Amino acid sequence: MTSGVTNVSVAQVPPGTSLFRARGTSSDIEARPITAVLPLPVRLNSAAPRRYYLYLMAPAIAVLAFISLYPFVWLIVMSLQDVGVGAGEWVGLKNYTRLFNDVRFLEGWVLLAQYSAMCLALQLSIGLLLAVIVNGARWEKFLVTALLMPMMMAPAVAGLVWLFLYNGTFGWYHWLFQSLGWLDSGSILSSTDTAMLAIVLVDVWQWTPLITLIALAGLKRVPQDQLEANMVDGASPLRNFFAITLPNLYPVLLIAIMLRFMDNFRFIDAALVLTGGGPADSTKILPIYLFEVAFKFFKLGRGAAIALTLLVVTIILGKLLVRIFEKPKSERV
Amino acid sequence: MARISINKVWKYYGTSPAVRELNLECDDGSFVSILGPSGCGKSSTMRMIAGLEHISAGDILFDGQRINDLPPKDRDVAMVFENYALYPHKSVFDNIANPLRLRGFAADKIKERVTSATKLLEIDHLLNRRPSELSGGQKQRVAIGRAIVREPKLFLFDEPIAHLDAKLRAHMRGEIKHLQRSLGTTMIYVTHDQLEALSMADMIAVMHDGELQQWGTPSEIFNRPVNAWVAGFVGEPAMNFLSAELRSEGGNTVLTHPNFNIPLLPQQVALVNGSAKREVRMGVRPDALSISTTRPDGPVIEGRIYVTELLGGDMLVDVQLADARIRVKTSTDFTGVADDACYMTVNRDKWHLFDIEDGHAYF
Repeated sequence: MTSGVTNVSVAQVPPGTSLFRARGTSSDIEARPITAVLPLPVRLNSAAPRRYYLYLMAPAIAVLAFISLYPFVWLIVMSLQDVGVGAGEWVGLKNYTRLFNDVRFLEGWVLLAQYSAMCLALQLSIGLLLAVIVNGARWEKFLVTALLMPMMMAPAVAGLVWLFLYNGTFGWYHWLFQSLGWLDSGSILSSTDTAMLAIVLVDVWQWTPLITLIALAGLKRVPQDQLEANMVDGASPLRNFFAITLPNLYPVLLIAIMLRFMDNFRFIDAALVLTGGGPADSTKILPIYLFEVAFKFFKLGRGAAIALTLLVVTIILGKLLVRIFEKPKSERV
Repeated sequence: MARISINKVWKYYGTSPAVRELNLECDDGSFVSILGPSGCGKSSTMRMIAGLEHISAGDILFDGQRINDLPPKDRDVAMVFENYALYPHKSVFDNIANPLRLRGFAADKIKERVTSATKLLEIDHLLNRRPSELSGGQKQRVAIGRAIVREPKLFLFDEPIAHLDAKLRAHMRGEIKHLQRSLGTTMIYVTHDQLEALSMADMIAVMHDGELQQWGTPSEIFNRPVNAWVAGFVGEPAMNFLSAELRSEGGNTVLTHPNFNIPLLPQQVALVNGSAKREVRMGVRPDALSISTTRPDGPVIEGRIYVTELLGGDMLVDVQLADARIRVKTSTDFTGVADDACYMTVNRDKWHLFDIEDGHAYF
């Protein structure tokens, strides 16, 4: 041992233990205690520079701040003011406190919850079923493309198409349901019993393919060997689906549910075209009410307050969903 | 426990056959290994037995009963997969209990069976772990536990120890063999590792390109390969092959090669006479040759040492001949070094002659 003697870290070795360690060349392979050959580096290299990241991101951040953050901050400010057309007047939290006495606001929440729950339940079950049917089918690629058609349509246009289908004089569905005796009188959209179902159906028609698409991607990644092992273990196909396929689909289903429920809170084009909240406010889900307050009655301040509560609830529900789904996921690993 | 008969089974994927007219008879309680390189049809065969693949043609019988159309769950077989296929969201206990639960066993019966299986496999301290918290060897044992807990008619093991490290593999070979002996259940064990097949199985089916090449005991497969392909596939280091000619010299039949002239043994002459062509392929395993740097008496193969490799207990010598390079296994006291002239004698009881065209063995 010549070099580095001054610069070693010596581990404590109990007396009597012999620890040896070989080095590169054969002349070095001799009885040498392991403690003697752990020189520390003389000095560490400087950390990898990363300051330029900020400069690279700065333009994007600036644009984002301008188009996204600025309006958001302005929305908060607006919700604290009584704004109509023209300059606003500072009213503090009055916009918010008034919401709790607003029957139509509270009713809007209930309707929104109903609407969203029905949409999600139908879309998930139908979408999953379609994905399972399409998966591995002979015409899979063609079928997927065909299924995606409704999604490619602008929601407002879809609403118009269905407006015709539901029409009380020449609508095809109107004719069908009346022939089947499910509908006694009046049109589908003008009855408080059926209007909500009608707008749910349009959402299901348009967005189930998205669930199918996402579930299909998930199905491709379900480990085949686990399915086979379970089959040999004695599971029927249905049992196999619930025991192996579904747990493996949880992460993608979470994404699908998140996307859809947030869309339900935001996309009201079709519903607006179809019912505009009627009849008798039976489809006035909260975003439609928000639209009316802000852009029909131009109570921009109150509208901003409703929008913010909607946003907060969306965020809380989103977090909750993630937590529910993350739990089994962490156990899966 | 069951006797497995595979009768003229074919497997087609599209139009290409993966298994061609396979016939096998596995005795009740025997350990049968299907050996072959990847793509030889061995896994397809196993999956057809398990019911995971449709049988394109032919029949598979368990105890004389045709099971072609039974779904996997009704065949009463247990399978261990190459990558274990444990259920990651279930604990070790639940993994092993799964086949019993699916068959509606009572809870106390399940507990009893799982406990005894895990004791046997020495994993009873891991029951509450998840598969992700296990090492490869432990996962392997859980997968085996899931198979044995049900006491099925037949075990199907699909390269179960291929992913373990060499030391653990050697250990598990012994464990699996012992397990099969003590349970007495018929086992079909698919592997590409000839060492596993030779060391564990009662009977080996060697497959190549979807066709059964040879069906025999390990010693038959090793010592009396039916063709050059089996001879080359089984054995490590692999058998040496040389092109040579058969000639008659003074009443003797002699194998001639630029590097040697060696007469056949009398009983071998009888096997060759009349049927063999003039050109043949000679095959000899590295340990059927003995090498020396001095010329011994009798017929020898002359060559030049290309390289020597020390393998700890043995030494492998690569020898350059006129047209090929052959390997010889010898003891570590061999002193020759590269470029030395060397002389090899052949243990003629252990050499083989193959047809130059279709590769079938004369002896």
